[in-house]
Amino acid sequence: MLDLVLKQLRYNSFRSLLTVLAIAAVIAEILILEGFLAGLYKQLQSAVLNRNADVIVSQTGISNFLASRSILPQLTRRDVEDVEGVKEAHPLTALSVIYSQGGRSMPIIIFVHDAIGGPTEIIAGGPVVSDRGIVIDQGLSRKFGLKPGDNITISDFDFKISGVSSRSAAFFTPFAFIVYDDLIDFYLESDVADDIATFPLLSFLLVDVEEGADPQAVAARIEKTVDVADAFLPDQLARNDEDMGRELMGPILGLLIVVSYGTGALVVGMFMFATIRARLPSLGVMRALGFKPRTLGAAVVLEAGLLTIFALPIGILLSLGLANIIHDLSPIYLILPVEPTAVVRTAIVCLALASIGALAPVRMIARLDPAVVFRS
Amino acid sequence: MLMWTLKGLVAAPLQLLASVGAIAGAFSLILFFQAVFAGESDQIVAYIEKSDADVWVMQKGVSNMHMASSFISDWKAQKIETVDGVSKVTPILYLNTVMVAGERHWFSFIVGLNKGDSRAGPWEMAAGQALPGPSEAVVPAVLARLANLKTGDQVSIADRDFRIVGLSENTFSMANSITFIAMDDLSDIMSTFGSFSYLLVDAEPGVDPIALAARLQSDVEKINALTRAEFTNNDWKIAMQMGLEVVSIMTIIGGGLALLLIAFTAYNHVGQRERELAMMKAMGVRNRSIYASIMFQIGVITTLAFLAAILIVVVAIPLTAWLVPQITLRLTLDALFQVGTAAFIVSLLAAIVPVRKLVNVDPVTAFQA
Repeated sequence: MLDLVLKQLRYNSFRSLLTVLAIAAVIAEILILEGFLAGLYKQLQSAVLNRNADVIVSQTGISNFLASRSILPQLTRRDVEDVEGVKEAHPLTALSVIYSQGGRSMPIIIFVHDAIGGPTEIIAGGPVVSDRGIVIDQGLSRKFGLKPGDNITISDFDFKISGVSSRSAAFFTPFAFIVYDDLIDFYLESDVADDIATFPLLSFLLVDVEEGADPQAVAARIEKTVDVADAFLPDQLARNDEDMGRELMGPILGLLIVVSYGTGALVVGMFMFATIRARLPSLGVMRALGFKPRTLGAAVVLEAGLLTIFALPIGILLSLGLANIIHDLSPIYLILPVEPTAVVRTAIVCLALASIGALAPVRMIARLDPAVVFRS
Repeated sequence: MLMWTLKGLVAAPLQLLASVGAIAGAFSLILFFQAVFAGESDQIVAYIEKSDADVWVMQKGVSNMHMASSFISDWKAQKIETVDGVSKVTPILYLNTVMVAGERHWFSFIVGLNKGDSRAGPWEMAAGQALPGPSEAVVPAVLARLANLKTGDQVSIADRDFRIVGLSENTFSMANSITFIAMDDLSDIMSTFGSFSYLLVDAEPGVDPIALAARLQSDVEKINALTRAEFTNNDWKIAMQMGLEVVSIMTIIGGGLALLLIAFTAYNHVGQRERELAMMKAMGVRNRSIYASIMFQIGVITTLAFLAAILIVVVAIPLTAWLVPQITLRLTLDALFQVGTAAFIVSLLAAIVPVRKLVNVDPVTAFQA
């Protein structure tokens, strides 16, 4: 039977190719959407994990890293460093500002960092070494044509771009990194604060624990000792942000994925239906030759399965290519199209849909009168 | 020729229906994306529009509300009150943070309202009171429903508990859920005293908001004063810009899919009628007429699919509002125009496949059979 099916596919190779391409396009489209959601969650996690701390301390009651405003009193750093097991507490300040250039605007988050907490992957230029230096995410760099050495004006304050980083964006928002030496100048000289007292000087503390100390125990001790602060293991804080992302974006992207599956169902079903229906005369000949409708039905479902199996790697490659193109064009989006669960789910759905689409004309085969073939 | 074309279209109605349905699916995917972003962008500016201030005053260098932070000293509010043409100044504090409600975390914009002044508060209530007192909150009715909460229950903002005293309408969307609390409470949370985030300025009757904004800008140092229209437009633009790339990507993917589908349908269509076409060529029907006929058929299929896509999305909008109330959808004329243009281009490109096939049809085959 496999031989028969392969011959059928080869007989009209262009049609077979079109069908494989269409199913591959459906697979790619679904994988891109699934990958978009997976990438969004990954970025939310990475924003926390890339700060490279053993424990992260926030304002009491603030259990998220992004999308929340955390303000710690200056003295918290000293209090935290006094806690047993803490080697060093590095300050980190997060500022949300809007960057505008040439009539276009983009929200950015500026992280003011000390020894740790800065960019983890600099792809052009280098880290901040001079006054007013800034490292920007490649999403911002690409969108506004900014490169190392260029000046960037944020809230009327001129920074000089020292480097461009990758994997430093989340929630459709690129990050930028500056050092503490420039923070006060930024506050005083720019328009960012009417009154410096209103803006945070310290948002989080990134804690290094002493060698051999258990981060969880250290976090518990910080919670107990420092009233104004909450302490989290980075994994926990990352999970909190991911959960917030799921709550916020899950329904909408979930709905869009459902719509994509619906569209995919229509497309794959229609292709198989049209492919099989166009071959009704030859199927009629086979019936006249004594093939049972059940055998022909099985052959048709096998054909649908084979087409989907051929389409699957092409769809995956297509989705990887598209994901790369999207990331190149707009690096603030991270698309992870080959998450195993999504690939398996998409493959199963497409196989099922192709089989259903192919089975629809099987009823026509069953009702096909072999004599018609000879009459025509 | 016209009759042949029409007959060709309806020769296999089930196949035509399946083709139209599948292509409509690809178009509706694009329309759906556009509707999501348009709906969300509308919701993002809902507070600015509904609070209906003539002029918005904020910190210099800030020109929008969504994802921004602004701080303006309280003495500036007093100064603005004395400016000619100003009828009322209503300050608000504003913070975007994560709120805990019903054991779930919700991203929310928290608006701090001045004691006893509901001017900047919710514009439509589902239940309870519109003005929160100390340790009280007015939350969106949709959020309360999703979190299984009612008036009298508690929500938590930055570890502080607030009792729900009111449920507001039209204040919830995926990216812009608005919670109202007392300004003093929000000041405490933000550790901000003696400053506000934004000032809502009402003009005296007959005063031009544009002129008033300009006057405020020149009279008060280090502020930015924008008319409601400008302020709305700034926020709407930033929301659309954030979504634009995603929408463009999905338009290209959906368009590519539609292109394949239409090309396949047309190819299938021509393939099934190859002998007829050979016969027509042999009978002297000019290629141009046959091409026109095929183009017409593709045009009809694309148009039907486009109309079906609109119908699908129009039906999906109320259905989505019912099933997933946190999502706001809006179909815009712009979106229809864009998808319509994409459909036209796609149908032209898709015609290349059958036309190429037609060129290769040899009239002699009509007599060989």
